Amino acid sequence: MKRQKEAGDRRIKLPFSSIRTTMLAVFSVLIVATLTFFYIISLNYTERTILNNSIDYTTRLTGQVTRDIDSYIDYMENISSMVAHSSDVQNYLLDKKSAGDPNLYRRIVTQFSTVLETRTDISNIAVVSGEDKGIINDGNDVLNVNIPLRGVDWYGKVRDSGGTWLTSSHVQNVIKDNYKWVITMSRGIENPDTGETVGVFFIDLNYKALKDLCERNNIGSDYIYIIDPEGKIIYHPKQKLIYSSLKTEMVDEVLECEDGYFLKEEDDGGKLYTISVSEKTGWSIVGVTDMAELMKGRSEAQRLYVIITAVFLVVTVMLCVVFSSAITRPLERLKNSMKEVERGNFEGTQVETEGNNEIAGLGKSFNVMIYKIQQLMEQNIYEQEQKRLSELKALQSQINPHFLYNTLDSIIWMAEGGRNKEVVLMTSSLARLLRQSISNEDELVSIRREVDYARSYLTIQKMRYQDKMEFEIDVEEGIMNQQIIKLVLQPVVENAIYHGIKYKDGKGLIKITGSCRNGCIYLTVYDNGKGMEPEVLEHIFDVKSGEAQKSKSGIGICNVQMRLQLYYGKEYGIFYKSIPEEGTAATIKIPFVEEEAENR
Amino acid sequence: MKVNKKKLVSSVVLLLTVLTVLLLLVLPREPKKEPYSIIFISKTIDESDFWTQLIDGTKAAAQEYGVELSIRAPETEDDYEMQNDLIEEAIAQQPDAIVLTPASFTETAPLARKIVDNGIRLLLLDSEIDEKVEECIISTDNIKAGRLQGSYVKEILKPDSRIAVIAHVKNSSTAIEREKGLREGLGEEQEKIVDVVFCDSNYDKAYQLMLGVLQNHPDVDVVVGLNEYSAVGAARAIIDKGLAGKISFVGFDSSLEEIKMLEAGIFQGMVIQNPFKMGYLGVETAVKALNGEKVPEKIDSGSVLITRDNMYLDENQEMLFPFKGE
Repeated sequence: MKRQKEAGDRRIKLPFSSIRTTMLAVFSVLIVATLTFFYIISLNYTERTILNNSIDYTTRLTGQVTRDIDSYIDYMENISSMVAHSSDVQNYLLDKKSAGDPNLYRRIVTQFSTVLETRTDISNIAVVSGEDKGIINDGNDVLNVNIPLRGVDWYGKVRDSGGTWLTSSHVQNVIKDNYKWVITMSRGIENPDTGETVGVFFIDLNYKALKDLCERNNIGSDYIYIIDPEGKIIYHPKQKLIYSSLKTEMVDEVLECEDGYFLKEEDDGGKLYTISVSEKTGWSIVGVTDMAELMKGRSEAQRLYVIITAVFLVVTVMLCVVFSSAITRPLERLKNSMKEVERGNFEGTQVETEGNNEIAGLGKSFNVMIYKIQQLMEQNIYEQEQKRLSELKALQSQINPHFLYNTLDSIIWMAEGGRNKEVVLMTSSLARLLRQSISNEDELVSIRREVDYARSYLTIQKMRYQDKMEFEIDVEEGIMNQQIIKLVLQPVVENAIYHGIKYKDGKGLIKITGSCRNGCIYLTVYDNGKGMEPEVLEHIFDVKSGEAQKSKSGIGICNVQMRLQLYYGKEYGIFYKSIPEEGTAATIKIPFVEEEAENR
Repeated sequence: MKVNKKKLVSSVVLLLTVLTVLLLLVLPREPKKEPYSIIFISKTIDESDFWTQLIDGTKAAAQEYGVELSIRAPETEDDYEMQNDLIEEAIAQQPDAIVLTPASFTETAPLARKIVDNGIRLLLLDSEIDEKVEECIISTDNIKAGRLQGSYVKEILKPDSRIAVIAHVKNSSTAIEREKGLREGLGEEQEKIVDVVFCDSNYDKAYQLMLGVLQNHPDVDVVVGLNEYSAVGAARAIIDKGLAGKISFVGFDSSLEEIKMLEAGIFQGMVIQNPFKMGYLGVETAVKALNGEKVPEKIDSGSVLITRDNMYLDENQEMLFPFKGE
């Protein structure tokens, strides 16, 4: 028990009224969830693939740029080495005897000028060996007297120890009136004999070559920048904005990064930083790729996925609608049929069944069930009908033994008195009466016959009561041929006599009228007898209790009423109006049937 | 039954609607924006570092933000009539915004008002006007800059020092503010100021005035210039008089000549502005305002004290020697 209850509690209850809606809702949710899942997974996958490809690509790109820059620096080193080892420069610096030779000086200047002319990426080229000695560019530039050479890092680093030195980006301030942003490569010049450093050769590189190297392979908003190991910017396409602190660039992140790339999240999709460190210079070459641009491919894929997802969704939902209706339509039909049956209509409630599934089986069983119920019902109705008929018959055959006896008594009495004429009339009336009641097996008779019957009865009664009563019959000819159930009028008349006229002092009058109004036939029996109190009127149709009924003659009013209502329906029957000491009117109301149906 | 069908149809419709909305949300939209058109009306386009840098700044920002920038300027800095004509022209072209360095405190104001009345956004650079109609002004905070000068002067003062101030234009807002800042920076030492003269932004006049100051106050050993003309003009006089090294100069704004004098020790220090940043911020702020962002009423483009010792520090050499890229 307990377990069952738990199971019941655990069952999911869906807030939908029909199976179809439930199915639709559940399927829709499942489909949407599945498709969303699929969508996210594929999108993620695409994104990752694109990202990996981009990382590969940009890593290769920055690697290439790094190699290019290295070979560029190599080339510059070669130039500096060539100059440093040239005998002219050696001689000039070592103050050998040829030092004063103006040709020597001119040769060096010419060499420098040639370099400057052929290479636009070189801003300055010079050899210096102290505050007062040096050849700069084309020989016309002089040192800036206000800047002590020893205090300048690229000079100090190589002046005593030799070797080469590469600065970061800086303003070259050692040449008078010539301040330029450059990268300086310096090299100590050694005396080949002593190994002692005797001077410094330097080349100032402007950004032409670097810019060219960095921008060569760029697409769209991608760019490459270079920082030195201390994090100083060497080259950046927006160097000026960075210097003016209008823009910032990733520096610490680059220096700390170990994977060779990192992602920087931003509102507009973020950026991919790919880092390649040059072993030669120690510089970090950083490639920056706009994720938004990268993800253009992604957004195209996304669009495609969305469209596919949407189409799938629509198709599956539509299929869902179709299938669910295929499943639930027979159920729906079954339900409708059951509703009809519930209301009591068995006609056309047979359910069409297709296929061979559970619901079809259900339908078939239902059909069989309906068929059986219908049969039972019909049988029941038939039996009821039979019962009613036999009842009616029983009621009809109950007529007037008492009356018969009284009448015969009256005839005897009249015969003894020698009133032959009257005997004939009464006997013939009685004979008519008897014939009518016995001969006709039909349930229905014409009103004419019913009136005749009443007339015969009244004739007998009038004779019996001699001067006590009169009667009149006034029935429209138009209704005379209408059908009415047998033995209706006479009991009412009988009732009028026994309960109205009988107790009246003096002569009473019975009047029968018949007319047709509003599709109904009204047969009214008036008497000017004693009338009835309202209480009596109220109980007039009550079934009399055993004793009372026995003492009564013929069929009671209540039987007539019962038969009328049984046959015609509740709205028909006998309606009484009565005023005490004035009289009573009993109206029989039955439906009027069109003539045609009548004249069969 | 009917109700159910209706429910069904409506739920399918709802589903599809939700789907469409999702689709619209998920699908990347590509907003196609017309580039903003901005007209920059400068005081002048001359060879001076200040204006070149400022204009470079506006150009850099225009490139950065994809703005259609057009630059106009009269030939000389004080030709406000010419500038007013240029403003009229600019208004007629109905740009999205006008960035203006007003040539006159009073005479430019009506035109500035007209810009705003024509539904064009207005931003001012460098100088103010006597009516506040602009959305934002980007300039050097001159009081702050003056204070930098003042506190540095205070450092190099000797007990018996006497200070002369060579200012630029009398009653100009910048001169008033810089002098105010200078005095604030000096604090009690401002009593040592013996003379304040105005050179009208003219080298020769500054030169002459300096000579006059030397005559009237032979004990002056600290000279403060409130702009480049005053500082350099006065320094030239000192050099010509052979007094270099005896009188300490503290200048304002930089030029090659001033830098060289700083290297040579004639100038002890100078406060420099950041015209590139000013120009850049001008256009940038205009774009922000056009994008509907809230912009402050006033932006300080900054100023820095440069001395001989710190001039080649990374952050300072970048301000002294504008990076040109090649």
